[in-house]
Amino acid sequence: MTTIASEVPVRTGIGERKDYHALNAELNLFAPDGSIQFDKDRQAAAEYLRQHVVPNTKVFSSAAERLEWLVDHDYYESEFLEAYTPEFLCALHERAHSVGHQFATFLGAFKFFTSYALKTFDGTTYLEGFEERVVATALYLGQGDEQLATGLVDEMLSGRFQPATPTFLNAGKAQRGELVSCFLLRVEDNLESIGRSVNSALQLSKRGGGVALLLSNLREVAAPIKRIENQASGVVPVMKILEDSFSYANQLGARQGAGAVYLHAHHPDILRFLDTKRENADEKIRIKTLSLGVVIPDVTFQLAKDNRDMHLFSPYDVQREYGTPLSDLSVSDHYDELVANPRIRKNAVSAREFFKTLAELQFESGYPYVLFEDTVNRANPLAGHINMSNLCSEILQTNTPSTYDSAIGYQEIGQDISCNLGSLNIAQAMNSSNLGSTVETAVRALTSVSDQTNVDAVPSVANGNETSHAIGLGQMNLHGYLASQRIHYGSEEGIDFTDIYFLTITYHAIRASNQIAIERGKTFAGFEDSTYADGSYFDKYTQHDWLPATQRVRELFADAGVTIPSREDWVRLRESVKQHGIYNAYLQAVPPTGSISYVNNATASIHPVTAKIEIRKEGKLGRVYYPAPHMSDDNVGFYQDAYEIGYEKIIDTYAAATRHVDQGLSLTLFFRDTATTRDINRAQIYAWRKGIKTLYYIRLRQPALEGTEIENCVSCTL
Amino acid sequence: MTTTNPTCPLSETSVTPPKYRHDPLARLRPINWNRVGDEKDLEVWNRLTANFWLPEKVPLSNDIPAWQRLTEKERTLTMRVFTGLTMLDTVQATVGEICQIQDARTEHEEAVYTNIAFMQSVHARSYSSVFSTLTSTPEIDDAYRWAVNNDLLQQRCKKVLKHYYGNDPLKRKVSSTLLSSLLLYAGFYLPLHFSVHATLTNTADMIRLILRDKAVHGYYSGYKYQRGIENQASERQNEMHEFTYELLEDLYELELAYSGELYEPLGLMDDVAVFVRYNANKALMNLGYPARFSPGETEVNPEILAALAPGADENHDFFSGSGSSYVIGKGEDTSDADWDF
Repeated sequence: MTTIASEVPVRTGIGERKDYHALNAELNLFAPDGSIQFDKDRQAAAEYLRQHVVPNTKVFSSAAERLEWLVDHDYYESEFLEAYTPEFLCALHERAHSVGHQFATFLGAFKFFTSYALKTFDGTTYLEGFEERVVATALYLGQGDEQLATGLVDEMLSGRFQPATPTFLNAGKAQRGELVSCFLLRVEDNLESIGRSVNSALQLSKRGGGVALLLSNLREVAAPIKRIENQASGVVPVMKILEDSFSYANQLGARQGAGAVYLHAHHPDILRFLDTKRENADEKIRIKTLSLGVVIPDVTFQLAKDNRDMHLFSPYDVQREYGTPLSDLSVSDHYDELVANPRIRKNAVSAREFFKTLAELQFESGYPYVLFEDTVNRANPLAGHINMSNLCSEILQTNTPSTYDSAIGYQEIGQDISCNLGSLNIAQAMNSSNLGSTVETAVRALTSVSDQTNVDAVPSVANGNETSHAIGLGQMNLHGYLASQRIHYGSEEGIDFTDIYFLTITYHAIRASNQIAIERGKTFAGFEDSTYADGSYFDKYTQHDWLPATQRVRELFADAGVTIPSREDWVRLRESVKQHGIYNAYLQAVPPTGSISYVNNATASIHPVTAKIEIRKEGKLGRVYYPAPHMSDDNVGFYQDAYEIGYEKIIDTYAAATRHVDQGLSLTLFFRDTATTRDINRAQIYAWRKGIKTLYYIRLRQPALEGTEIENCVSCTL
Repeated sequence: MTTTNPTCPLSETSVTPPKYRHDPLARLRPINWNRVGDEKDLEVWNRLTANFWLPEKVPLSNDIPAWQRLTEKERTLTMRVFTGLTMLDTVQATVGEICQIQDARTEHEEAVYTNIAFMQSVHARSYSSVFSTLTSTPEIDDAYRWAVNNDLLQQRCKKVLKHYYGNDPLKRKVSSTLLSSLLLYAGFYLPLHFSVHATLTNTADMIRLILRDKAVHGYYSGYKYQRGIENQASERQNEMHEFTYELLEDLYELELAYSGELYEPLGLMDDVAVFVRYNANKALMNLGYPARFSPGETEVNPEILAALAPGADENHDFFSGSGSSYVIGKGEDTSDADWDF
């Protein structure tokens, strides 16, 4: 029997093969001479643009004609364009096109056109390239300020600044979700609050990013309802409702709704909460797509150290005894008191067993995230207690509860958290002719998102944003930058650079926020009670000189022409802040930067690469291969992956950055499958001791069993 | 009946339960994992248990929108491919793995087959999860009727079943290896193709979990075959060599005919044929034999080949699935030294 057909059959639909996918996949297969086929990926990018993008892009005779058409056909909003003169709009488009932007990888181009570029409503024709998306974003965030819009075009096209997905995806489009990435909601211990939270979760996932909910205050299984014992069913059924809600709502199909729930480690349902992620959990209690986070105070570590039981406290009783929800009470401070109080129902589990269970679940599912409660609160410059984080564990802000009437209308609108993010590409930022101005442009762009956001569907979120103007400036491409400078990730020089870089960013971010406060004569609400107001926030920078420890890092900054703020600079900044305040309650947060780092050609966040050739799988992309940014045959040795580098160096690097960042940093831990739960526990202990605030996923890599590998596969052998 | 002599190794004076049918008088011995003769048994056992999974873990319902975008033809193909896979997994779970227990060289090998047999049943069931999530009962019933009425599919199964129920232990091994490493793979082509093109990605995740298991199953049967044949007389070795290549040839022809029926309408058959040849070589490699097809005949599309790697190193985004890279961990207590802070 032969299979050679005399003529090539016509392939339509799913049967069609795409050359650029094949070229891209060759990146993951060695060339006959054993080298990595970088050029195949570049060909893939070029072929993708040639075969797919260019023929499917609508052509306009001029920028003006294009904008008019887009507004007339309901693709662009008109208001943000009307804030500028037509001449400026043309000039800005020309400026953008003169830069000559090119996608460095196939995935960068593929991701941009699949996920970000504006398409006709029928999905067949592209109405934007990268430059047009950048210009629309810059114009939208500029709000009529030509200087800011121009600055943003320069920062984005140079790759120095990249707004987060919701902003970059939505800005300027007429049919769109919110520009904000991320929402955090409190849930209080009553049905009105639970019902309202489900509604809010639906509304917010319809509009964009992820939603995290705090479950620590919900009464535990078998707690009384209306004082009748053994009535409550605990947190798990609420998790089920939330999981289903998130699957229902997505952002015009652009992004799967995603949610996280946080629970305090000393909540009586904590083990049930964790067991929902078990491989063999019953369908009724199994949680598949909801992310879990656990809030762990210092006392839990102390109890584990002493190998004692940890007591779990009924939130229902805590509320009645203290008049304060469990989430707002420092369990570390009150632990002995809570144990001694006979009116608080409690049970006990071995603290070490708790940590072991945590690690078991992380093996099976990657969850839960961990938030080190006391570390986070010690570092918080604002008054109030931080009790949760978000879907990516980098947002750390205070919140206050809302109260509801029986029709779940608001009686008192509390403050819930939203955060809009954007990241600098460290390698490009170090190339900036003026890093201070790059940071300031980024801070102004993020502030503009906050100013233009009003999530009226969830008044507590709108209220939180209105009072805090919180933003999250992030960073990415640390590993790519270090490798391009031939510095190993996690080496002394690598950590030293991270420390000084974040110090410099922090200085400029506060300076920019102070500048905005001066211009507007306005600070965030609660500034008076913050450590910015009394100046103590600045003590660490003003009480001694904070300089590079290594010669190499001094040279890096000197060669780049980047000035490291001196003690005197900090003192001047402190005085200006004490006098005028700052506009944004929170300034920095380092997100994991999945998608945007591919488009921007950066290594994700401040992590090491996960592989020299990363295999990326996403719902809308399929399986795609991505070479580490800046990697070439000469510097491959500096691209040790996260599994090879090990957790100590990653934690040390994050610890250096954490000292300067007011919110959190998404920190994933990477293990080989030979690790045990004990290794994970040791990493958690190490992270907690080093002052890490949160831990994000645990990722595992299992190599193929010897004898079953695919020959010549780069990702198997590298 | 006698009791055993304390100076003599237990393995010489007692047998494992499956040997009862040859020697009802022999003393029976419980499995002892503290005396492992072939380290490969333990290695494979550990890998299989670490890789344990159930279809309920995969959020298949996220594929409903993608399923609805498929054409009628594509849906039918997908359902038939999966029903075909279910058929083979059923054969393998209920007969193929179980029948090798009687020929096991070590007691641990017996245990490994029970594990593999169970996982094959999990695989067979997982396709049903796809069906019940994405389609309706009448469609499912149609697909099963198709499987029962499809002569080629029936032949593929019966070709190996004949040897499973035959008298030759080595032929059982060869048949089992060819089923695990060759026959199933034509069915995997479709979901791998999907995964590259961002369609049914959660289903593809599940298939990758299955692939991760199959890679080990085929490898293990092949490995045990090699241990079985290495001490045989050269005549017997020649006989088995001939048998293997003949059976491979038969199965290959059947595979092309079967896959042709399925894939031809989508124009994918040429690619599938290359893929089948590639896996035929892979099956032979598992059995310790040289390749049947030349490198030129087995150049699988790079995107499929790259997607085939069984290592769990995919970096998925958590918005769209649970990925195929988590394993069940080893628990280990922390000691006081770990908590020294």
